[in-house]
Amino acid sequence: MPELHRKQNPSRILFLLVALLATAIDIGAFRVLARVELGPTPRILVALAPLPGDIALIWLALRAIRKLDEFQKRVHFEAVVVAFLSTGVAVFVYGYLQKAEVVGPLNFGIVWALMLASYAVGYRIAVSHYQ
Amino acid sequence: MKNRMRVLRAEMDWTQADLATRIGVSRQAVIAVENGKYDPALPLAFRIARAFGKNVEDVFIWEDEDPSQKGGTK
Repeated sequence: MPELHRKQNPSRILFLLVALLATAIDIGAFRVLARVELGPTPRILVALAPLPGDIALIWLALRAIRKLDEFQKRVHFEAVVVAFLSTGVAVFVYGYLQKAEVVGPLNFGIVWALMLASYAVGYRIAVSHYQ
Repeated sequence: MKNRMRVLRAEMDWTQADLATRIGVSRQAVIAVENGKYDPALPLAFRIARAFGKNVEDVFIWEDEDPSQKGGTK
């Protein structure tokens, strides 16, 4: 969707800035929890520190989606379906492998990367389907 | 559903981008509708028809999938 994306540059920049800030808070909270001795309440507060940034990202994504035309919404919907289902299947398969004690604990960073990659694949599939 | 968008657009001497700007959608949407790959919802169908100064049924042609229905019902 090159045309609309170009028009939405300020929104994209804001989204990227919030995403960077949320990621920085996420990494910071993870490091604090790993390296600093804290009581139970401060640990919970630090663990939940990334939440406002993540909620802001959801709100910005919803705002961007609502500005799209109906065709673009369809394409993104199909991409979300591919991302959601393929990530779900992958996590379930990983869970079964964990039960079989073949693999270790799940890294949630990989889950996010998989979701993004499958979203991109789903987007390409949807675009080529309607071309 | 078939449509006459390509013909009407040629008559108006509009590019796909021109039409997209006039009806407030992406060029991708115009391409998909024009190629019959995506059937627009009613509001978009009306916007497309109005952009050409036509009625919806002058732009979009419903093709009945059931051959026995051809010729209409009495």
